[in-house]
Amino acid sequence: MSAIECDGLTKQFGRVRAVDALDLRVEEGEIFGFLGPNGAGKSTTINMLLDFVRPTAGSVAVLGLDAQADSLAVRQRVGVLPDGYHVYDRLTGRQHVRFAIESKQADDDPDAILERAGIPEAADRKAGGYSKGMKQRLVLGMALVGQPDLLVLDEPTTGLDPKGAREVRDIVREERDRGATVFFSSHVLGQVEAVCDRVGILQDGELVAVDTIEGLRAANGAGSRLRIDLDRPYEKSPATIEAIPGVSSVDGDGDSDLTVTCEDPAKNDVLAAIEREGYRITDFATEETSLEDLFVAYTDGDAVDSRAATTKVGTPPSNGEGPAVEVSR
Amino acid sequence: MTLAAVAKKDFQDAVRSRSFWALSVLFVGLAMLVAYIYIELPGGLMVNTGSSGARTSDDVGLILFLSSIAGLFISLTAIVVAYRSLAGERELGSMAVLLGLPHTRRDVVFGKALGRTLVLALPIVFGFGTAALYGYLSLNEFSLLDFGTFIGLAVLLALAWISIVVGISAATGSTSRASALAVGVFLVFELLWGGLSVGILWVANGFALPATTPDWLYLVNTIPPSAAFDAAIMALIPSAVPASGSAASEIGAFYGTEWLGLVVLLAWIVVPLAIGYRRFSRADL
Repeated sequence: MSAIECDGLTKQFGRVRAVDALDLRVEEGEIFGFLGPNGAGKSTTINMLLDFVRPTAGSVAVLGLDAQADSLAVRQRVGVLPDGYHVYDRLTGRQHVRFAIESKQADDDPDAILERAGIPEAADRKAGGYSKGMKQRLVLGMALVGQPDLLVLDEPTTGLDPKGAREVRDIVREERDRGATVFFSSHVLGQVEAVCDRVGILQDGELVAVDTIEGLRAANGAGSRLRIDLDRPYEKSPATIEAIPGVSSVDGDGDSDLTVTCEDPAKNDVLAAIEREGYRITDFATEETSLEDLFVAYTDGDAVDSRAATTKVGTPPSNGEGPAVEVSR
Repeated sequence: MTLAAVAKKDFQDAVRSRSFWALSVLFVGLAMLVAYIYIELPGGLMVNTGSSGARTSDDVGLILFLSSIAGLFISLTAIVVAYRSLAGERELGSMAVLLGLPHTRRDVVFGKALGRTLVLALPIVFGFGTAALYGYLSLNEFSLLDFGTFIGLAVLLALAWISIVVGISAATGSTSRASALAVGVFLVFELLWGGLSVGILWVANGFALPATTPDWLYLVNTIPPSAAFDAAIMALIPSAVPASGSAASEIGAFYGTEWLGLVVLLAWIVVPLAIGYRRFSRADL
């Protein structure tokens, strides 16, 4: 059984299709990173998991239960850190946690929860006076009440300092190790790469990629970029280099420095080919594709489209950087 | 069934509202003042402005005197206490925290109505209770049952107004719309209704006022919550009916009874909440 299963999930708000025929499976026990830029439809998807928003078409099952018909049973077993949440200004931290405990008919100790969330000293203060980070920790603490089978965390690290973000990731790992599934959305890839088993990238309401981070790298030409300095401008046809298996693009022909995006094993072939053409290589360097590039490549609509259509002689990506990617639409 | 948890949370939250406390202090002070005037300045008071003349120094007179301030206080305080109850949580985003927990939307709407009614019941019970104690110590005739019934009815009126305002708050997604609608309901039913009912009569009679008022005008006049409250007082506390008879007693139709007030009050509790819940249960939050 999947922890989350969306089939053809669609939500139309007026003329805007926020989520478009989304098929997504999150397996039990994994940490799944749900990525996408702001406005991609992440929160709408999460709101449909929790029955805050009703789908226009398609279905969602959470923990094997229908997210609409059995929403109460779903939310009994799910811990939620919603997006754009607000706490009750006039209630204390402990009152908040106690309310979550009463709502779930759980038997947690409110102070232990606040301790875990990292705000034990604020238990008796009104939450209206909390900082953004403390409010975040409070709501995260409430999500941990009752040992949920699934944690749904919408942008849990936004608004936290690096230390706070790391503590959130620690809690996420602890919960996974306890046996929970964690569904973790973010618009910043760096926040999920350290912790997620798999990621899905959402763009304009559509899932453009689902894989492990290593898998995403591998699918995108191993994410290596070779920068080569030559003794003189390269004037041969780039087709020679592009013909080498594993090379996805060549940038900078006509200059004395070339950038070749290729899979790792092709690097030596590229260097050898250039030398065979009579150029002397004065220097070269390889760069791992940063995950940020990867993310931008998937979510920057133009770049993705041009790259998706890229033949080996394609135009350089509009931003002149970033890996070539295969896009599964 | 987590209605109680929602009601408790909501009570804890709303009872800390400063504007609520300001209104409550005002109300309790007013109740004391009214009781003082009634008890200490007897003789010249015409509580029942009708042919029956004055009633003084008994508890029913005090009840009728207090009931005149109850309608206004309860309706306005209900608006202050409840207009943001659901719309505010939706606007701010605490609704996502609330519904992220295992509550049905029904428990949220009804739990809020219950929690906020309990909040509003505090100043009512305290204010009228203090006035009752004052009356008990000072008046010749004092029936604890009458006063208890009166306070119970005042809480029922509070429930009706809370139901109206929570229903409105549930039906709209915005606090500005909720407050405008709630104030609109207050204006129409509590301030303008007298004029409106005459207007209705005028139109129904072919744009002229009839020589004798038809029976159904009583029905129309009992629609406002405070009017229903006044009728319900007469239904449950028979000595509150003026010696000359009540408006209801002059009507032959089946609804010509003060019990109509209680029926209308119950309708004000059930109908707005049902409509509000229906809209809220279908909304995308």
